[in-house]
Amino acid sequence: MWRAEFLWVMISLLAIGSAWAETASGEKAPNAQLPKLAFGQSVDNVTDDDLPYVYTEWENFTEEDGLPNDHIFAVRCAGEKVWVGTEDGLACYDKKTRKFTVWKEKDGLPWRAVTGIDVDPKTGDVWLALFGGGVARLSGGRFDHFHQLNSGLVNNVVYGIAVEHDNVWCATTAGASRYNTTTKEWTIFTEKNAPMEEIWNYNVFYSPEVNKIFLAVWGSGCLEFDVPTERWKVYLDPDREMEIDLFRDDGIIHVITTAANYVGGALWISTYFGQCRYDGRYWRGFYAHETGIPSDFTNALRARSAQECWMCTDKGLGVVADYATDTYVSYYRNGDDPAGRAEVFRQGRKIKEVPLKTSIAHNFIIAMDFDGDDVWVGTAKGLSHGIGRGYYPGVKRHPEWLDKINAEGKK
Amino acid sequence: MRMRKCDAAIMSMVGFRTIIFRFGKTFVKRKRISGTVVSICAVAWAVHSVEAAPPDFQPVYVGVKVCAECHEGNSLGDQCGIWAQSAHAHAYAALHKPEARQIARLSGVAVEPDQSRICLGCHATAAEAEPWELDPTFSIRDGVQCEKCHGPGSEYADAAIMRDRQKAMERGLRMPGLEGCIYCHAPKESHQRVLGKSGIDIAKGWQSIKHPVPANASLSPLERPAPPMDKTQPALVGSAVCADCHDGSHSGWQFSKWLESKHARAYACLSSTKGQQLAKKRGVEGDPRTAGECLKCHATAYHVRAATIRESYSLFEGVGCEACHGPGSQHVESRRRDPSQQDGSLKKPTHETCLECHQSSPDKPFDFDQMMAKIAHPSQPDPSTKNSEVVYKTPVNIAVSPNCDVAVVACEASNTIALLDLNTMTVRGEIPVGHQPHDVAFTPDGLFAFVSNRLDDSVSVVDLRAKKVVRTIPVGDEPHGLLTDLQGKYLYVCNFLSDDISVVDLKSFKVVKTLSAGRGPWSLSLSPDGKWLVVTNIYSRFVPFRTEARTELTIVDTSTAQVVNRPVAEGANGLRGVTWDPKQRFALFTLARHKNVIPITRLLQGWTVTNGLGIFWADGRIDQVLLDEPGECFPDPHDVVISPDGLRAFVSSSGNNRVAVIDLKKLETVILSYSGEDRKAILPNHLGPATEFVIKQIDVGHCPRGLALDKKRGRLLVANSLDDSIGVIDIQSLDLVGTIDLGGPKIITRERLGERIFHSAKNTFHRQFSCASCHPDGHVEGLTYDIEDDIGVNPVDNRTLRGILDTSPFKWEGINPTLSRQCGTRLAVFFTRIQPFTPEELTALDYYICTIPLAPNRHRPVGAPLTPAQRRGRAIFERIYTNDGRLIPPEKRCVTCHPPPLYTDRRSHDVGTKMKLDRHGVFDTPQLLNIYNSAPYLHNGIAPTLEEIWTVHNPYDTHGVTNDLTKDQLNDLIEYLKTL
Repeated sequence: MWRAEFLWVMISLLAIGSAWAETASGEKAPNAQLPKLAFGQSVDNVTDDDLPYVYTEWENFTEEDGLPNDHIFAVRCAGEKVWVGTEDGLACYDKKTRKFTVWKEKDGLPWRAVTGIDVDPKTGDVWLALFGGGVARLSGGRFDHFHQLNSGLVNNVVYGIAVEHDNVWCATTAGASRYNTTTKEWTIFTEKNAPMEEIWNYNVFYSPEVNKIFLAVWGSGCLEFDVPTERWKVYLDPDREMEIDLFRDDGIIHVITTAANYVGGALWISTYFGQCRYDGRYWRGFYAHETGIPSDFTNALRARSAQECWMCTDKGLGVVADYATDTYVSYYRNGDDPAGRAEVFRQGRKIKEVPLKTSIAHNFIIAMDFDGDDVWVGTAKGLSHGIGRGYYPGVKRHPEWLDKINAEGKK
Repeated sequence: MRMRKCDAAIMSMVGFRTIIFRFGKTFVKRKRISGTVVSICAVAWAVHSVEAAPPDFQPVYVGVKVCAECHEGNSLGDQCGIWAQSAHAHAYAALHKPEARQIARLSGVAVEPDQSRICLGCHATAAEAEPWELDPTFSIRDGVQCEKCHGPGSEYADAAIMRDRQKAMERGLRMPGLEGCIYCHAPKESHQRVLGKSGIDIAKGWQSIKHPVPANASLSPLERPAPPMDKTQPALVGSAVCADCHDGSHSGWQFSKWLESKHARAYACLSSTKGQQLAKKRGVEGDPRTAGECLKCHATAYHVRAATIRESYSLFEGVGCEACHGPGSQHVESRRRDPSQQDGSLKKPTHETCLECHQSSPDKPFDFDQMMAKIAHPSQPDPSTKNSEVVYKTPVNIAVSPNCDVAVVACEASNTIALLDLNTMTVRGEIPVGHQPHDVAFTPDGLFAFVSNRLDDSVSVVDLRAKKVVRTIPVGDEPHGLLTDLQGKYLYVCNFLSDDISVVDLKSFKVVKTLSAGRGPWSLSLSPDGKWLVVTNIYSRFVPFRTEARTELTIVDTSTAQVVNRPVAEGANGLRGVTWDPKQRFALFTLARHKNVIPITRLLQGWTVTNGLGIFWADGRIDQVLLDEPGECFPDPHDVVISPDGLRAFVSSSGNNRVAVIDLKKLETVILSYSGEDRKAILPNHLGPATEFVIKQIDVGHCPRGLALDKKRGRLLVANSLDDSIGVIDIQSLDLVGTIDLGGPKIITRERLGERIFHSAKNTFHRQFSCASCHPDGHVEGLTYDIEDDIGVNPVDNRTLRGILDTSPFKWEGINPTLSRQCGTRLAVFFTRIQPFTPEELTALDYYICTIPLAPNRHRPVGAPLTPAQRRGRAIFERIYTNDGRLIPPEKRCVTCHPPPLYTDRRSHDVGTKMKLDRHGVFDTPQLLNIYNSAPYLHNGIAPTLEEIWTVHNPYDTHGVTNDLTKDQLNDLIEYLKTL
């Protein structure tokens, strides 16, 4: 019974947050007089014919296809497998056999709601964040359950999980926990020993590139933990919790952060009020009304490079497709119709709309991951697979996907 | 303003060391501190305080000589003089007597007594302290000093504070009563057996060490003349500094020999009545400790001239090293810079050196040679005094090289591997490796062997051509089985006590990953195609209370070095030996089926502890068959191999001194004759079928364990572990055709006899099990038993035998005062259901059990500082206030019932863990040493993890006050518990 209440609370929070964001996003509109381009961006050498890659081939999976539940909370790609965490069970999609293996509580899964997944690249063990149930390790078919009563995990409400070397980091509602799989030691990070103004950790990400952990903390911005030195750095909103952005591009958008990724030298952070990027010197904020990204209310993000980042919003899937040329793509589904569209924006202007026979499964997006050139997206109504045939980074004049779309349109 | 010592430690790292040492101690009155220094320190302290909330104060140990500044001499009752005359002052020295090593051995101490926290816990002060908790004036070698009973003194040692008892107690002074003595002076059987004493009369002892402050006390410290100085000489450093290099076996125990000499007590004797009388007789006025003429020959500082006297020197050392060899600072410093350098600053004593004090007289002539022989302390031990201890080989596992020319045998007791020439069937040599070598593997080219060292947590890499260890690789806890893959890319090592598998890259010789195994990974086997490793585990997974064991096989894909499957042998535990069928249709593994959910007294009806084989089929299924027969069991099946033609399997029974030969075709026929549920439920428990597929049982030596096939010659090699031999069986004729003697001692000591009894099932009904069945490696097998006649009543968790002797009473109810009671008639009544051991057997068994060593603690090596988390945990373990400032009643503090050094008060308590199956709720307090490796916990094994002891089973603070702890505090407490 109380598990259901947990889910209800989470969904309610998201809904409240969404409503808040809608109200606030208008108020947070930056001063229109300021230039929209930031350092490192230029549109001088591009025209409307220079287009980013647009995913035009989508396939969707729901309970009918073998998923345990359509409410997808987490997606993680690892080799030939795609791990999917849902509101009621864990699934593993085998790309070779195109079949799902499913674990529910009756199959040994310690808790029904799987909100985060990471795979240890060395051992192949799958680590699961369980919303209300702690953490589980799936290793060789065996589930090991760690929770606040039988282990040093700080809290059972775990939103995100990340593997760093022999450590597993857990983002929980009462702080972050680190478990050393070799020494079996648990370490807790809260306001006592980390610069957490709030302890509600929403997400955790490990960047091997810089050997750092990034925590997205609800109300405490983004925390960066340097693994070798164990030192913290904190990214807060210079405007603090103000509902307006006094000076644009001066820091993160808001302290209510939902995810942080560091790839290719750029730190990408999502909040309930927009997204932002930091290259170590300059910040750049992204707002729906000036980028074409579907919404400011962002549940999560995943960066592919310093130029490309995918935003999981409550109104569609947004992509900073090419940061250098300020180019964006947004994917939508047309209501209950499987068809949808992709809209390409540059500097807030729609430069292309691409009809999609099959689009993403739903416009409420909560998770995604890259799988080589492909993408996998978790939505409120199923799992979506974007096939990246011919994918290219940045922009390209007269790309093949456009020819294909045009040819299909003529048919 | 006072600084804490930890602040001092931090400051010292940034170059303030000298300043801080002066300021960090209470007796700052002795040294002046400039205002600037105070300001710097104050700022640093303030900055540090922001980061970590400090306690009010953090006392450190200052040592007896600081106490002596006021407490020596008659004005305060000559308390230090009384102490110097007591056994307490010589408690550390006692650890260097030969008897101490015997006692340590009986206590399960696997290191030298002066390196053991257990021994030091009662023979020294501050044995548990970290280096930063010890002032330079403190020396652990001063034995049981003032602060052992009165608490670390830095915060109350100031005379101004000490004048006010209440104030001093607020600063940490303790005034213990008799009850505090019991922790060290409770009778210990180890001491009793070696010294023949049954403890001391504490009340009497209390009187002998009584050191009251007289009613007319006044603070007037002894006034001694200034020691003679010579600025051209090096400084005096004190014998404790010499001990840093000159103690231990590597230096011929030089410091220990001095400690045992009268020289070490030369100063103390000045405070004795006899000393005082003698001084008076010689016309010395006043206290001889203040008389230059006495001190000249009773204290180093007055005997030699030094430039200065360093803080590490103590008058209490009497006539120390430097009295004869001269001030040592130059020697110490040059040797610290370069240990091989001979600086030549030390004197070589001559006849004249001795005559300076030992003047010959007609009635007491001084015989220089005789006296020199008495105090001789050569740096190399005298070969004639070589350890005469009987050292067996105890071969536990054996491996044959890829070309079948050599076999390597892991000899657990001698810490060696033996090399066997398989052409001549002789021992070609023996190579020392780490402690308690357990298993052996080869590189694919056969040039190197890998040996797992169980006690050292390491793997020795042995160059077989050079016949020496060329590298040592640290791995996990208690490594057992090990094997390389076919390509020789990785070495896989089963870490028995950390429940994981180390994957060692054989290019870098480093552990590149650690795979989660089952519980207690024991051995492993590589499939013929090299793709799969099957790993056996001896412990069951944690299962719901009073349900059957479920033990996994861990399957590793060697192409990815990842675990891919974990099939479970239902109802089984003790999975040990494993091998693959040559055609890779299945792997065979040995197993036990302990029926721990029925009363063990049902043994008489048979079928309580059963033993057999598991068959892991290529499709992932597992079948189980028993090797027991209705009249006689096959106890402790240990290892298994299959003949190259795949027709026969050989299984060793360490409990019955036999090797069983199994016809694999018949075995398969039997298995296939069962179908459906019968194959799952009936066959694994059926005592009959073994007669159909066991075609012969071959008698071999005592306690056969590891098996290996010499495929070239068609021979099976059997490690007769308690015979120090290798049995040779012809796999065609199935006869024992020879025995290779590994050269162990031929006498059977009491300990060896006990070890044989421990591993033999001869003394149980139908030979169902041995002591080792439930105590593999002297430890636990992780099951909860119902050992009484009433079904389901009083289930109790198995307890370790490692380091058990001094933790009496035994049993969870604490009703057995001695091991012989525990293992005697009672064992026959409740366990073995056969005639009890003879008195001789019982004595031997009892003796052997005592010697099962307690492995070194993996979470805190000897002398290592605590980690920050462990340090915080210790504070919680020792705390007396709750987080909100409430005083915790003594009986609800961790340290009250779990005091060091054994962390048990050896009494029974009700900690609120009584469950409906228990008759009562009062249980023996378990020792906590190495507690991290003996899960599950509590009397009935209800808590699989340490956390659950408090998060689940202590709702009303009956097992210590813990419910106010935050989660991070509980984590810290557990990190500290792991260090005990």
